[in-house]
Amino acid sequence: MAEAMEFKHSQSLSLGIEIELQLVRTHDRDLAHEAGDLIERLAKMKVPGAVKPEVTLSMIELNSSIQPGFAGALAELEAQRNAVAKAAGVLNLGICGGGSHPFHDWAERRVYPADRFKEVTRRYGYLAKQFTVFGQHIHLGCSSGDEAVYLVHMLTRYMPHFIALSAASPFYQGEDTSFQSSRLTAVSAFPLSGHMPFVPDWAAFLEYFETMRGYGIVEGMKDFYWDIRPKPEYGTIEIRVCDTPLTVRRAALLAGYAQALAAWLVEDRARAPLAAVYQVNAYNRFEACRFGCEGELVDPYTRSRRKIGQDILDTAAAVMPQATRLGCVDAVRELGEDVRRGYSDAGWLRARLAASGSLPDVVREAAERWSASGKTPTL
Amino acid sequence: MQDVAWFLPAWPPVFGDLALFGGLLLAGMLGGELVHRVLSLPRVTGYVLVGVLCGPQVLGLVRDPLTAGARVFVDLALGLIVFELGHRLDLQWLARNRWLALAALGECLGAFFAIYAGLLYFDYPPLLAACAAAVGTATSPAVVMVVSTELRASGQITERMLLFTAVNCVFAYVALMLFLPMVHLQHETSWRSAILHPMYLLAGAASLGFIGSQVMLGLAKWLGKREDRQFILLVAVVVLEVGIARALNIPVVVALLTLGIFARNLDYDHALLPLRFGHAGQLLFVVLFVLSGASLDFSGLETVATVTAVFVLVRFLGKALSILALGRLSGLRAGGAGLLSLSLLPMSGLALVMVYDTATIYPRFGAELAAVVLSAVALLEIIGPLATQFALKHAGEAHPEN
Repeated sequence: MAEAMEFKHSQSLSLGIEIELQLVRTHDRDLAHEAGDLIERLAKMKVPGAVKPEVTLSMIELNSSIQPGFAGALAELEAQRNAVAKAAGVLNLGICGGGSHPFHDWAERRVYPADRFKEVTRRYGYLAKQFTVFGQHIHLGCSSGDEAVYLVHMLTRYMPHFIALSAASPFYQGEDTSFQSSRLTAVSAFPLSGHMPFVPDWAAFLEYFETMRGYGIVEGMKDFYWDIRPKPEYGTIEIRVCDTPLTVRRAALLAGYAQALAAWLVEDRARAPLAAVYQVNAYNRFEACRFGCEGELVDPYTRSRRKIGQDILDTAAAVMPQATRLGCVDAVRELGEDVRRGYSDAGWLRARLAASGSLPDVVREAAERWSASGKTPTL
Repeated sequence: MQDVAWFLPAWPPVFGDLALFGGLLLAGMLGGELVHRVLSLPRVTGYVLVGVLCGPQVLGLVRDPLTAGARVFVDLALGLIVFELGHRLDLQWLARNRWLALAALGECLGAFFAIYAGLLYFDYPPLLAACAAAVGTATSPAVVMVVSTELRASGQITERMLLFTAVNCVFAYVALMLFLPMVHLQHETSWRSAILHPMYLLAGAASLGFIGSQVMLGLAKWLGKREDRQFILLVAVVVLEVGIARALNIPVVVALLTLGIFARNLDYDHALLPLRFGHAGQLLFVVLFVLSGASLDFSGLETVATVTAVFVLVRFLGKALSILALGRLSGLRAGGAGLLSLSLLPMSGLALVMVYDTATIYPRFGAELAAVVLSAVALLEIIGPLATQFALKHAGEAHPEN
């Protein structure tokens, strides 16, 4: 048997953020293929965190360093954004947030020339190129493997919040999908997508993992494309359902909310993990992808249905003590305000299409918005 | 008998320009496909070879390709190409990336002075050498556009190749027009017309481009973001402008290049959708290359072989100098500068038109120097597209299917 995975200790509830970004050409706003040039250029600049390639040449990934809280994460993301925007300007590239490019043709995608990505393409065929979607991952530090397993189970109930709050992929392959987030559908096609099994603790999880590894299905945690998964080598759990928001500010807000929510779940312990959460998970996930905050969520704890937006507002109120302590009150409040006034990035993108009449214009405006600083605009 | 058969045409029948267009299109397409399938060469090379075959020196099916009827197709195709090229010239990029702007200007000056010095070394008269150097500065817009489209190329080398080509075409024409007054004076016309003629050409082309762009942008705004309507609008304005430029004796290429540059950079309301001529544009491009193949003149190649070789070589070195020097500073990746320089090698239809038009104003140019320029064109018409294809493929910017 291969050596057992050790869960690396990390500062409980510390934050890490990864966002995948779109590279677009300025003359037709279609996806560019210049990730290599951009990364080479950024390598020469002083950029905090890390900039990495992704499976196709049309995307790059920004990784933050480990951050104690919302303010630090936002400051670092803004510094990264400014550096990326500057480097992209030299190459005449636009950089865009959002979970999907509105009209690119997946068959035109080119795979980044690295062995890892070639292997992914060999194994998954067209899925690899179709996977040119752009997500945000939020890492939360855990003190132990058991805490990680507990948090994964408890946070699953809240994944629809993160889907609805980040939703920014209403368009796909030139069409309005009618979804708030069409991106997650692309993830569902992979054989190892879905969720972690309902295991009681880290030891039980390791047993499951070793079984899968024994079958030769997985080699490491990276092979599970779950919505939320433990990441033992970092000592974190990783929330993977978010679309990349249209601004780095919103990416930081989401991380702040995740931190406050996780803190509340760790401290409160009023509820225990429930297998029924996974029974309704696919339904809740669909509602959030399709309708955003207007979707309905089934809560197996109370055996009731409620609007996802309302559930977010109630949860935001409940986590306020933790948010106050962790310094992310503003983040939680700002997201709640957006829910109340019906703002979503997906809605903004649709409004831009209605106003401008063409998807290339939507991309141009989204790129301008990503590169500019500032708060959420009024609709 | 004759009365009964009145409906028959005179014998032999007279085939007009339409049959010429169709015939060249068909022949060019076949030649391009054959060359592409059998030898894996760019289709452009096949079009040119068919042209050479049809031209006066071999089969003689096409005589005088740059006069009369056929010239309409050349102007139309060149007009469409340089309009699209102008539309790719993003002045904001040059403003943001000063090293790039400097490299683009340096590329023009490098090529110009390298050729100028080369020709002076061979004792050509300075004024003629300057005119030839101006012509030689331009990269063939048709070749870079068609080859990059055919390869579905996308990336920094491709973008910069198109940008540099747009810049060096503008430079070449402006330089040529600035030398015209001196040509006029040597030609003993009055000093008034010597000054007025270039001014007329430059101001005429610029105003034509500006007015056309305003019409285009205004109507596009009114039409809204509808691809089918805007396509008709673009073709209509481009063809109309080609016609007007011809009627006013203004160089079509400058007018249309200006139109494209204005249409891109003055489109503050983002009224125009991204430009795609697609298959429709290809029709004209095939004919353009066949016709430029037919106008190639290999006869002088033997007598001016050395000068031609020097012309081609120093032109390349002149272009490469500033690109190599400023490549990294302007954000090119390692190895990119050499490939970019190589991609800018082509020289073709545009140069033919420039030489032809200069020679009509100043016949001595035709007699003395055209041979060198035309031999260089003949040489580069064959190796230019290969160089561009090689560069884009090795830059990894061609679509993987190629």
